[in-house]
Amino acid sequence: MQCRVDVKGSQMTNPVTATRRHYEDLAVGEIITLAKTKVDKQMVTGFARQFDPLPFHLDEAAAKASLLGGLAASGWQTGALSLRALVDSFLADIASAGGLGFSHLKWKNPVMVGDTIGGTITITNLRRSDSHQQWGIVTLDFDVRNQKIYRFSPCVWQIWSRCAPNDPLV
Amino acid sequence: MTRWFEDITLNEAFDLGSHQFSVDEIIDFATEYDPQYFHIDPEAARHSHFGGLVASGWHTVCIGQRKMVDALSAEAERLRALGKEPGVAGPSPGVNAMTFKVPVRPGDTVTFSLTVTSKRRSNSIPGWGVLFNQIAAVNQHGETVYTAELISFSKLRDYTVPTRLRLLQGLAKVPFFGRALSRMT
Repeated sequence: MQCRVDVKGSQMTNPVTATRRHYEDLAVGEIITLAKTKVDKQMVTGFARQFDPLPFHLDEAAAKASLLGGLAASGWQTGALSLRALVDSFLADIASAGGLGFSHLKWKNPVMVGDTIGGTITITNLRRSDSHQQWGIVTLDFDVRNQKIYRFSPCVWQIWSRCAPNDPLV
Repeated sequence: MTRWFEDITLNEAFDLGSHQFSVDEIIDFATEYDPQYFHIDPEAARHSHFGGLVASGWHTVCIGQRKMVDALSAEAERLRALGKEPGVAGPSPGVNAMTFKVPVRPGDTVTFSLTVTSKRRSNSIPGWGVLFNQIAAVNQHGETVYTAELISFSKLRDYTVPTRLRLLQGLAKVPFFGRALSRMT
């Protein structure tokens, strides 16, 4: 994994994250509940105009005629809203150092205007980085659903988390 | 893609253009969707291992999507101007894998490209094909910022609806049968 992690800098205590939970404080199986977000038409068209200006995210008539069957949020917006919920309920409280990437992202069903999305994120794996001893890699399984439960967009994320400053290896 | 499924050539890189990331847009995006200190606070970001402010990975990916939509719309316009009918692209069912390699810093210029690496007919949606697209984002130093395998739908040009399916579609419009059918599928 090629990631620009400044080893020297990270050996010093980071005052921003010093009091947060570190890698050792996390456990496999921990479940993070995401706050619910209602998706309205203004949000959908606003995001689409900026990042995904396809007719089926902008125009109701074009959306009805498309595979989506109605005005639906860009999948990237569903992801952005899930990410925001993850920051609020988890990342802001841990010594997180950014994402490595993700896999298996499936937009199983579109998020339609008026839907409320929420869900859970589970820590499914924790391992120390081979290349950066003072870092751990946290694997997170996303399970984001709407109010009817049957629509969801599962996804697996990996993020870096700083190991505790008092860890003998750090 | 703006070509019909049948006309899409594999392993041909399509340039999606470049984008320069300003400090304001990095902070604006992250304030709304990824408010971690190294994305929104230049002063606090100096304490992070990045050593300064960096763009949210999701931000670079969203810009990549915008560049793709713009480039493909421009290509469709170009084809229309030549009197050709462009192909029809559908929504994306997902992303197989995306890896963030180096961070994007304020002032960086990222160039995006799209390569279709494989295609097949959709098993679940008649009349549509599935494309496997490799997206690459490279900064001004030639370093790869991220790579992604994005899946998308593309309409088949040479497709006629089979009689059995046309009959089912007709039945779906009849109130009682339509409800019964939607319950079955």
